[in-house]
Amino acid sequence: MILTVFLKELKDTLRDRRTIMMMVIIPILIFPIILNLFVSISASFEEDAANKPIAIGLIGNKNGFISKQLMHIPKEMGECKVYFYKDSASLIKDIQKDSIQIGIYSSSNFETNLNNHKPAAIICYFNGTDIGIKTRAENYISLIEQEAQKKRLKELNIDQNIVKPIIPIYNNIASDKEMLGKLAGGILPYIFIAFGFIGCMYPAIDLFTGEKERGTIETLLTTPISRWQILFGKMGVVVLSGLMASTFALLGLFLSIEMLDVVENDQLLNVIHSIMTFKFIFTLFLLLLPLTIFFAGIMVPIAVYAKTFKEAQSIITPLNIVVVLPAMVGFFPGIELNLTTACIPVINVVLSTKELIAGTLDFSLLVLSFTVMLCLASISVIVSYKQFGKENNILV
Amino acid sequence: MIAVSNLKKEFSLSRSQRQELQTKEKTTLAVNDISFECQPGRIFSLLGPNGAGKTTTLRMLATIFSPTQGEIKICGLDSRKSGQEIRKKIGFLTGSTGLYARLTPHELILYFANLYQVEKSEFEKRVNHLYDLLDMHDFKNKRIGKLSTGMKQKVSICRTMIHNPEVVIFDEPTSGLDVITAENIIALIRDCKAKGKTVIFSSHIMSEVDLLCDDIAIIHKGNLLFNDTMDSFKKQMQAKNLTAEFIRIVEQS
Repeated sequence: MILTVFLKELKDTLRDRRTIMMMVIIPILIFPIILNLFVSISASFEEDAANKPIAIGLIGNKNGFISKQLMHIPKEMGECKVYFYKDSASLIKDIQKDSIQIGIYSSSNFETNLNNHKPAAIICYFNGTDIGIKTRAENYISLIEQEAQKKRLKELNIDQNIVKPIIPIYNNIASDKEMLGKLAGGILPYIFIAFGFIGCMYPAIDLFTGEKERGTIETLLTTPISRWQILFGKMGVVVLSGLMASTFALLGLFLSIEMLDVVENDQLLNVIHSIMTFKFIFTLFLLLLPLTIFFAGIMVPIAVYAKTFKEAQSIITPLNIVVVLPAMVGFFPGIELNLTTACIPVINVVLSTKELIAGTLDFSLLVLSFTVMLCLASISVIVSYKQFGKENNILV
Repeated sequence: MIAVSNLKKEFSLSRSQRQELQTKEKTTLAVNDISFECQPGRIFSLLGPNGAGKTTTLRMLATIFSPTQGEIKICGLDSRKSGQEIRKKIGFLTGSTGLYARLTPHELILYFANLYQVEKSEFEKRVNHLYDLLDMHDFKNKRIGKLSTGMKQKVSICRTMIHNPEVVIFDEPTSGLDVITAENIIALIRDCKAKGKTVIFSSHIMSEVDLLCDDIAIIHKGNLLFNDTMDSFKKQMQAKNLTAEFIRIVEQS
């Protein structure tokens, strides 16, 4: 009987354009679209910023050290032309007008200080809102500095290695997988939770409030099926819709990575491939199942209580913020899964998933997180059952 | 057969409902101590103005609501103890019934047949008979949402009768329907009577009641004002016509 209700509701739900939109189309398309846009826009910006010919305004000696260095900037560092200025006011004004992009000011005693082996100051002007210009300016100044250092060491007849007493070598003992999991792993559970919630929302309202509003619940209640069987059949569809929305979001993300080449770094791509194992996906869904039941369990009593689709929507939508916002905890690298966080619903799923991606998940904490979510899911189902059993609620 | 004795139904009122009704009472009495009997092969009509308690009574008969007090026996079964068994024996049709717009008539009828646990071979036989009877073959596979009101009403009838119920409950079945569409319902009610089923229907249209019923009960503000045969009602009439007599009884109460 539960299966009969479940299959009918599933068929009905899959024919609802609004639900299909929220459950399949948006989750599957959102990542390819966003990531593709993000990657192509940022790549084109970076490329433009790195290659666009820029004009450098220089206040200083035309035949001086800085001028010579700027004239011989290698092409790989981007094309540039040098213009000479007499005062900093007109230099700044031209940067503001974008006639020139970088301004370099060297004082009148620059050459003297340089030749006398004293520190010589350079002031660099740039417009910070012009993306990539700061990096270009830093690169040029660094080149001038290196050349000045070489020149000075040569004049003093000093080996470069003598002024470099320490060679620091940094070794990161965390694996790439761990790095990815701990630093960026929070995004994945957030996606799952956000889409799981949205995926549950429309079917919950449609199958409970919608049925009341359309006047179909009355005839259903006159059939020889128990109310708990109706509830379970309908709730099953709500949970499945949530899980499907999460799955399609994952699929969208996977397609973006595999087909749109949004990850150009091969090493990172290998790490992602090594994460996407059957064991990982199975454990992820094991955590998501009670979470989605919990979502359905908090939405169903509201949907049962509400008299209209609008009323249900106006109560459930703000809940989205309350429930999904804690999932953002996963974005903060410092917060780890421990005995306390494993007991906090939603957050425990996020942190467990992060640990799972990093490959550092403690099994006992996974069991604790799962148990907490299972208890909460059970409570929410009991609340739904009680609410669905109330005569005042089930009919408009 | 339906036997109702001393039936009472009280609803608790929420704060907003109390404000709406401008009352301080925490409960409201929808049905107050009513008793009646409906016999197989006869049509029993529950007549009353809007808000009289007709729908609440019929919902209690259909076991959607449980009575606050009193007893309902349908085909000898107690509604409190054997709700599920009772629901197998009844067909319920209301004028306000919605249908699943995204399903086709055939899918909907099959769904209800499954809920009533109708055997597959029996389902095929019955559904084809009903399609023939109601001339539904042309639209049985179209989405319900695209059907006309008359077609939808035929689907509702088919859904109500698919499990061949012993007792059929009609709650204002013709409300909002045009004369031609309402005729399908009238024909169904007559057919049920001819087949020896127990039929109860509620209405506030006296002409419809006159046309169909054998027994009549008038209900107003939850109280039973009259309960006898239609013939007896006509004999006791003090007003010029049936509608005027109905109004007289209600106003006198």
